[in-house]
Amino acid sequence: MTLLSLTDVSVRYGRLTAVRGVSFSVAENEILFVTGPNGAGKSSLMRAIAGVTHCAAGKITLDGRDITAEKPENIARMGFSMVPEGREVFGSLTVEENLMVGTGMHGGAKRGRIADELASVYDTFPILKERRNGQAGLLSGGQQQMLVIGRALMTQPRLIAIDEPSLGLAPNITDQVYERLIALRAERGLTLLIVEQSSTRAVMVGGRMLLMRGGQIVLDGDARALGNSEAIQAAYFGYEDH
Amino acid sequence: MTAASPTMSAQAVPPSAVAEHKPARFALARKTIMTPILLSLLLVAIAVLTYLTGSRPFNQTVIDVFVRVTLVVGLYIFIGNSGVLSFGHIAFTCLGGYAAAWLTINPIMKASALPGLPQFILDLRLPYWQSAVIAAIFAGVAALILGKVLMRLSGIAASIATFAVLAMINTIYANWDSVTGGTSSVVGIPIIRTIWPYLIGAIIAIFLAWAHAISRSGLALRAARDEPTAAAASGVDIPRERLVAFVVSGAVMGLGGALTAHSVGVVTPDTFYLGLTFITLSMLVVGGMGSLSGAVIGVVLLSALIQILRWMEAGISIAETTIALPKGVQEIALGVIMIVILALRPSGLLGNREVTLFQRKRNR
Repeated sequence: MTLLSLTDVSVRYGRLTAVRGVSFSVAENEILFVTGPNGAGKSSLMRAIAGVTHCAAGKITLDGRDITAEKPENIARMGFSMVPEGREVFGSLTVEENLMVGTGMHGGAKRGRIADELASVYDTFPILKERRNGQAGLLSGGQQQMLVIGRALMTQPRLIAIDEPSLGLAPNITDQVYERLIALRAERGLTLLIVEQSSTRAVMVGGRMLLMRGGQIVLDGDARALGNSEAIQAAYFGYEDH
Repeated sequence: MTAASPTMSAQAVPPSAVAEHKPARFALARKTIMTPILLSLLLVAIAVLTYLTGSRPFNQTVIDVFVRVTLVVGLYIFIGNSGVLSFGHIAFTCLGGYAAAWLTINPIMKASALPGLPQFILDLRLPYWQSAVIAAIFAGVAALILGKVLMRLSGIAASIATFAVLAMINTIYANWDSVTGGTSSVVGIPIIRTIWPYLIGAIIAIFLAWAHAISRSGLALRAARDEPTAAAASGVDIPRERLVAFVVSGAVMGLGGALTAHSVGVVTPDTFYLGLTFITLSMLVVGGMGSLSGAVIGVVLLSALIQILRWMEAGISIAETTIALPKGVQEIALGVIMIVILALRPSGLLGNREVTLFQRKRNR
């Protein structure tokens, strides 16, 4: 079943066009990597879906509902949780307070439900439980990445979009983060939308992969099949442009 | 918050095991309750000391301190939690101060000085504490109406817009002669000389600020202050949470206005203008606008400093020689000290920290 669908979406910053007429759809419980070199428009695309950046053109639907002009907080409430690039933790709040922020959005969410959700996040990321009263800004990079993912989980999303989960992390920490994400996908039927600059991770994990370049999708297919093809190198380095 | 069993995922935990979890919100309240208690105890200690000395001028000084604590804590509720600097909050103090005047002045005086007031207010004469509550509500409602528009703005645009509100309210109150007495003083407000009502006002402000800060709305607002994009992506409606803080802080500023009116017995539009805006903002910034403790301690320390400088200007007698500083040193010294503090600690004396008994535990 299609969960998220984009039709001809464009994003512009003034005269600069970051995303040009991108269309794709994501099925429920799918794992989709969006890869591509710097400036390909990956982050802009994520921000447009989350409602943080305006779409200049096109249409985005989540679960059949048009969310193109919806406010980010409403999109989050509909089950789309974005983890922005650069691990934006709420630095002056404690770890537990960070986790609590997303829970206010379901109206009168029950205390029991929140405590439940909190326990489940602590189960997934035991380090967060250990440091729950510590200031979030003082966590290490990997811990902050876990915190932002944990925070996204607190909103009980159906789809988590993560912008560069491996950015600035040691490879073994990245492995841990991915391990958790894949376990969560199996446990909760989560749909994962992951932005990565390099396609290596997508090839390792498997799933579907989109490759963006210059604001457009140039490749779309199974990550493992694409990973070993010459097409991906051509797309990355843009041989055909010269 | 003990996880049921490390091997089970939480979704598989049966409801009976879940019930053991303590409600998270109360856990947060328990963890932070020492801050407002300690700050209140500090003020109580100051009040008791003042009461024991029995000195009239000192009594008045400490009343001023408590009024300023109320005002600066009111500022903190909005500025500290939202990170948006507001130059306009003293406008709500003005609304509160005049509302208290309208409600407590002897009806005979009111009829001649402020004939433009509606009849039911002209006839009314309330005890000071009732007028203070109504003044706070009045200011809160005004904040709600103005905030609906202002909270859509952010950054420097929001700050300048709040400044415009201050100028607007000041102009209205300085010119609407029949209701506010124009630029001349409104006199006849009952003066309350005992220290306790002011202490209670300041403590109410402190506990309101604490309750707001640990509420979901306060938490969401502080999250938005740290990372607006991530907060919005977590479902935080930033203008709404800002509005909540604006209304609560507007009401506290209104309460502070009523207390100001009763502490001096006179209000003029200039009482509530740039001078008060500057001094309250400086106290907040010096103390540290990221924390409630910073707000309270900033007021207490700067007020103590101002008082010491005043005494030194008046002259200190040591062994028959009187040493007095030249007039004006007070303002200059205060400015220099503020610059030094801010140079050494740009986020204020307390930064983002709160006073608690378990200081180290929180940052571990």
